Amino acid sequence: MAESAEYDYLLKFLALGDSGVGKTSLLFQYTDGTFNPKFISTVGIDFREKRVIHHPLNPDGSRSTRGQRVHLQLWDTAGQERFRSLTTAFFRDAMGFLLVFDLTHEQSFLNIRNWLSQLQTHAYCENPDIVLIGNKADLEDQKQVDENEARTLAENLGLKYFETSAFNGQNVSKSVEALLDQVMSRMENCVDKATLPNNVFNNNPNRGTKLREVDEANDESQGGCSC
Amino acid sequence: MNPNFATVGQAFVKTYYETFDSNRAALASLYVAESMLTFEGAQFQGSDAIIKKLTSLPFQAIAHVLSTIDCQPTVSLGIIVFVVGQLKTDNDAPHTFNQCFHLKPKPDGSTYYVFNDMFRLSLHNG
Repeated sequence: MAESAEYDYLLKFLALGDSGVGKTSLLFQYTDGTFNPKFISTVGIDFREKRVIHHPLNPDGSRSTRGQRVHLQLWDTAGQERFRSLTTAFFRDAMGFLLVFDLTHEQSFLNIRNWLSQLQTHAYCENPDIVLIGNKADLEDQKQVDENEARTLAENLGLKYFETSAFNGQNVSKSVEALLDQVMSRMENCVDKATLPNNVFNNNPNRGTKLREVDEANDESQGGCSC
Repeated sequence: MNPNFATVGQAFVKTYYETFDSNRAALASLYVAESMLTFEGAQFQGSDAIIKKLTSLPFQAIAHVLSTIDCQPTVSLGIIVFVVGQLKTDNDAPHTFNQCFHLKPKPDGSTYYVFNDMFRLSLHNG
């Protein structure tokens, strides 16, 4: 791809949650189309990539016409957590977290607190950006987790909550984009960039200190517009 | 030195992983009270503790595929076996693993048991 080196931000997001909640399918659903599956068996990590043009939220709630080119890396565990806990190395440089449970499997919901505490132990800071995701929303008749209960938990933890379906795509992009909004606004408001994980800002020498801006017409050609 | 170290080592791993993949609880017969397991850095001693650990691993299905098996004879007719392979649990992607066994013959010489067992996934950043 000609534009492969051209982006303003490189962001790493991690999907966390019990085995079988659909993390991999969720990421597949999100990236499908501009999809680039890579499996690095030696590091036990599966990651996918996607380019999006992020339009920052204005104070009035509208979207800026200014676009920021974001290269998203979506990382997923490869099941190694079945053998031992995840290590700090796995969390390195991760900027946002998709905390996923299975709406049809109550235990995966109960384990959210454990995942959260693992996340807080290993993430780059104690209150990183996280969205809570109840996946498999299409399996209505098998639901074991009440929506209100999940919403209450999310509110108590100060997280946005989405019920998604990796099967039919419901809310999948919306949940990732909500996380992207949180992360991008954290970066805009961040005074001390040293508190952020490494590698967030593209070290492309062609890029000035000021963020490159792209116009709407160019968004189309990128094919990764988040709208 | 045990002249049959290679044959015994090879036969042992074949039985071990076939049993692991079909019925982990049945591995109990290969361990004794003095057996030691280091699993991803966690230590267990005795057949009961070891089997409890192995059967509590949270997956339904597992399949091992072995790439290399190296055997050496050691003191008191013991055998050291070093295995490199891949494993696949449920729908996860495959992982590379390493496992090392120290086998000892039972006092009556009838069969061998696992004295030492060390297991690691090959993860470098995960």
